Amino acid sequence: MASIRCWNSTTPEPSSKPLTSVPASDTIKHEGSGNQLIKVSKAMKAYQEKAQALDALMFEKTTEYEIGRRHLANMMGEDPETFTDEDIDTAIEYLFPSGLFEPRARPLMKHPTEVFARKKVAEFDETGRPFHVLFYTGLPNYYQVLHDLSEKVRELDSFSDRMMQYNIHKDPERTLNVGGTEWVKKEQLEDILLEKLKDKQYEFFVRSMNRLLDHPFSYRVEEFIMKFRKHVQISVIHKEIPKLMFTAEGTPYMAAVGRRKTSTASVTVYGRGSGKISINGEDLLYFKYIQDREQVLFPLQFSGLLGKVDVVADVDGGGFSGQSGAIRYAISMAVRSFVDEQMMEKMRLAGLLTRDPRRHERKKPGWKGARAKYTWKKR
Amino acid sequence: MATLGKKLFILSVRMGRGLWHRGIVSSSNPVQSAVEPLEKLQESSSDAITEQMAKSLKYPDFFKVAELFTVEDLFNARVHLGHREGSLNDHMSQFIFGSRLSHLIFDLDQTATLLREALNFTAHIAFRGGIILFVGRIPQHQVMIENTAKECGEYAHTRYWQGGVLTNSTIQFGSVIRLPDLIIFLHTMNNVIYEHTAIRDAAKMLIPTVGIVDTNCNPNLITYPVPGNDDSAASISLFCNLFKAAILRGKEKRKELLGVH
Repeated sequence: MASIRCWNSTTPEPSSKPLTSVPASDTIKHEGSGNQLIKVSKAMKAYQEKAQALDALMFEKTTEYEIGRRHLANMMGEDPETFTDEDIDTAIEYLFPSGLFEPRARPLMKHPTEVFARKKVAEFDETGRPFHVLFYTGLPNYYQVLHDLSEKVRELDSFSDRMMQYNIHKDPERTLNVGGTEWVKKEQLEDILLEKLKDKQYEFFVRSMNRLLDHPFSYRVEEFIMKFRKHVQISVIHKEIPKLMFTAEGTPYMAAVGRRKTSTASVTVYGRGSGKISINGEDLLYFKYIQDREQVLFPLQFSGLLGKVDVVADVDGGGFSGQSGAIRYAISMAVRSFVDEQMMEKMRLAGLLTRDPRRHERKKPGWKGARAKYTWKKR
Repeated sequence: MATLGKKLFILSVRMGRGLWHRGIVSSSNPVQSAVEPLEKLQESSSDAITEQMAKSLKYPDFFKVAELFTVEDLFNARVHLGHREGSLNDHMSQFIFGSRLSHLIFDLDQTATLLREALNFTAHIAFRGGIILFVGRIPQHQVMIENTAKECGEYAHTRYWQGGVLTNSTIQFGSVIRLPDLIIFLHTMNNVIYEHTAIRDAAKMLIPTVGIVDTNCNPNLITYPVPGNDDSAASISLFCNLFKAAILRGKEKRKELLGVH
């Protein structure tokens, strides 16, 4: 090894000792290959040690977790065998009440698998040969998904060609239903693949998956597609709508209270009516202005109950605008009981079921009004 | 100069020494100095496996790769069809048979010879347990190339080439890894009119390359260029199958003679 060696040297190579961990026959002998393989085996050894250490840690933490769970169950007086993760959360909240605002700063006890992030297993064996076909791309799992996707598209295309031969067209009933689901977000995809992705790569993934989804025979690859779709949380919290009440004569009715600015309106909507409206004993002409009358009528017109229900309203406080808004809100809330879920959703989207929270804002000293300032003079 | 260097290279391979002596071999008796180390090697280790490996280099076609195809197969797969005269790379003119209505035609006899050499080399690499990486950047053939690699137990890279894969691998992959021992290019060009970065990087890292070079490609840095059509699915499919067959033959012999899987 005393002579200077370079890549094009013609001096003979000294016979290298066979490596203990790698069989000599398995190597390709060339300058520097011995060192590289030693490095690779070392890297593999280092991985194995890390993997063992991680396994030991996980085992230790899991046993601690189980012991902790049994202690909590005993403390709470519950059966340790049936003490679920939700019970643990409630127990911790009870025993360690925290006034901290940030939920992540509060004490918690979760299973070690949720706390410690999953890591990729070793990517090559002791001879240095990687396990995955696409290892050298740098993102084997991501590109494997794209590869599978391509294969699936080809499969479906050839299937649809065969179906066309037999003149079988797409069955409209056998459509893949992805209602209530959406594609996993970038972070979730990274968790599934255990690989960091760029935004463009994620966007390409979504575009490609959409192409697969749009295929008329996509129901045949439902399992593959569903792996990357997650259910969407329902945004509206379904409040319980009160059931209709009945008068002595048997007419259905619903009462509701509505507020706007400083006005309060208590309204009763009677079914099987003819469209009579009474506000504080007077009819719709209680309101001098057309806008206020329209505000009162809008919920009935929107839900199609304009000539079908009677409205009796008592309103107090505020001015005409506030009073009309209060009556409108109260009527909308009452009408919910007369109307089906779809119409109720439409009403919610129209803004009829939102309590207008705006109030009068006080004037500030040194300002002309609540927000307006006096003219600013430079000098 | 390139052909001379390649001939010396082949000669040195046949002498069983300097499998990795790429580039310009010095003209001062490379052949003779190659003989001595081989004998020394044989004396120092009486390992049966090493003997087998040395023995395999004595035959011009140890794996009988010449049986894998005929010139007619190449013709039927439309390997002889090149691009138009205007896009001809000057270095490729030596492989052209002629042109018909300004469409260039490859000389399939030359292609056959070079393809046999390439397949032979590939089989030897597979015989010795080398890592073979299939590279190609044309989307139409991506899946085919990846499947070929999977079927012969090797590796494929038909995606965006990150700069440091070969030249900065430790940082790119996070740990010391074993680089490919052979890179097979089914397409030497990228999507655009540029050459694939891996050709230059493989030359930098002294990794031998086999490449299908079309009339618009530059065969200079490729160790075993195979002139032929790289645009038809039929020709790419044929090349994929040939390389796969050569690799599988090499691995079969490996199992049989060296006793290693």
